[in-house]
Amino acid sequence: MIQVNNLTQVYPSGKGIFDVTFQVAEGEVFGYLGPNGAGKTTTIRNLMGFTNATQGEALINEKDCRKDAAAIQKSVGYLPGEMNMLDYMTGIEFLKFLGDMRAMKSTEKRDALIKKFELDTEGKIKKMSKGMKQKLGIIAAFMHDPQVYILDEPTSGLDPLMQNVFMELIKEEKKRGKTILMSSHIFEEVQRVCDRVGIIKDGRIVTIQNIADLNSVNKKKYVLTFADKKDMKKFENSPFETDKTDINILKVSVSYPFNDFFALLSSCDIKSLEVEHVTLENMFMKYYES
Amino acid sequence: MNSTLFKTNLKSNWVIFTFVFGMLMIYVSTSIAMFNPDTAEAMDAMFSMLPEGMIKAFGFVGLGTNLTTYLAGYLYGFILVVFPLIYIAVVANNLVAKHVDRGSMAYLLATPNTRVKVAVTQAVYLISTLTVLMILVTGALIGLSEALFPGLLEKGRFIVLNVVTLFVLLAVSGISFFASCIFNDTKMSLAIGAGLPVAFVMFKMVADISEKVNFFRYLSIYSLLNTDKILNDNSYAITVSLGLLAGTAILYVLGVVIFNRKSLAI
Repeated sequence: MIQVNNLTQVYPSGKGIFDVTFQVAEGEVFGYLGPNGAGKTTTIRNLMGFTNATQGEALINEKDCRKDAAAIQKSVGYLPGEMNMLDYMTGIEFLKFLGDMRAMKSTEKRDALIKKFELDTEGKIKKMSKGMKQKLGIIAAFMHDPQVYILDEPTSGLDPLMQNVFMELIKEEKKRGKTILMSSHIFEEVQRVCDRVGIIKDGRIVTIQNIADLNSVNKKKYVLTFADKKDMKKFENSPFETDKTDINILKVSVSYPFNDFFALLSSCDIKSLEVEHVTLENMFMKYYES
Repeated sequence: MNSTLFKTNLKSNWVIFTFVFGMLMIYVSTSIAMFNPDTAEAMDAMFSMLPEGMIKAFGFVGLGTNLTTYLAGYLYGFILVVFPLIYIAVVANNLVAKHVDRGSMAYLLATPNTRVKVAVTQAVYLISTLTVLMILVTGALIGLSEALFPGLLEKGRFIVLNVVTLFVLLAVSGISFFASCIFNDTKMSLAIGAGLPVAFVMFKMVADISEKVNFFRYLSIYSLLNTDKILNDNSYAITVSLGLLAGTAILYVLGVVIFNRKSLAI
């Protein structure tokens, strides 16, 4: 379990994070969303015990992240935002080195992950592409089967196929009751795997939302393109809330029950029908513009 | 102490160790080979052709006909100061500051090892490899001397000289390690960790040139490596050793403590 309580970290430049508070429960995936420079990595550095907070505290499994950093690391898997490895080593040497630093006994999960991500670990890290380094970082974070994951932009540099492999891995770990915090600036991936999302802007949390709530917002918007203007009139005169976006296009807001809407729709000649999803992106932009 | 980290240090720093040891071996072997009690006068004559200030600056003073004082004068004024300094400055920076600067410290600290444990391992690495370097050099000097000039070297005094030299080098390594621990970037770590000892070398050289600028010796830790006094005065050797060890301990402990407390931008 991760707890961040009123965490404040002010840099000499005046930037930083201010009064950040959130929790991540066991079996939960928390998406930490914000643009570059919003304070995601600063929060994560505090969770890893790298920096001294100005105020507040960060706890993992009830232990203080700064004071008990080493003890906490036994049950934490960390993926840094930047892949600065010991690049004179080969991939497998690096994994062995970290395994030995952890006194890790089983290499079963490590080897399974190498296979899953199709990584050639024999080459020198210096020669690896960004994507390969990212895979290596992911394997290093997951190989000791930790209870808590702290992942800083985990999919950056991965190709779409590997992004999918990673998303599936996150879902599996979640099922196994792991606590997962992942930062991102990509809305789609957060919406796909996260249970909750916290949005950070200029160092402050602006909102924390349940993704499930977001996905089931009962008001749906249908974008209808009409073949016939008369049909369009039918909708404009109906009790539905409409918004004319073009001469033959209407945006209709509908909420449960949908029967009336579809009854009316069936009497019209419609050229196209699209559903406008309330995406995290819409929400995100809303918080950013304000 | 973490043995995995220690072994990894070995892998990434053996090249510089081998280089410095190799360079020292070249000087050690040629210096002994060049020694000839019969032609010592010729040597003196050769040196007398060079400007006096220059000879003094490099510490080639009073080489004499005695193998022990000859080696002390030839090696311990400059060569056994500068080459170990290269090793110290590079390795001290590699062990801590470079990991922080490049961000790889994040991986080390993401394992269940405290910062103190990581820093102490790095300190032990620097201290032990520097000690090994000096043991190898001293061993080679004694071995070669015995092979070429059996019985000429006053081994007891010579070992004392090497022990005090090691303590001076350890104190210098304390400065470099301290700098490596307190700075978050390689540039500053090297500026202080290598720059300050290099300044000490220069001050010592300047001080030795002429009596007029002799006050410069008070600005250099290397002035404690007074070979004449160490070879002849036991109480001097002991006092200097104790002072150097105390200074070394303070620098290393402070380095570890500050590294443990500071914020790391990794």
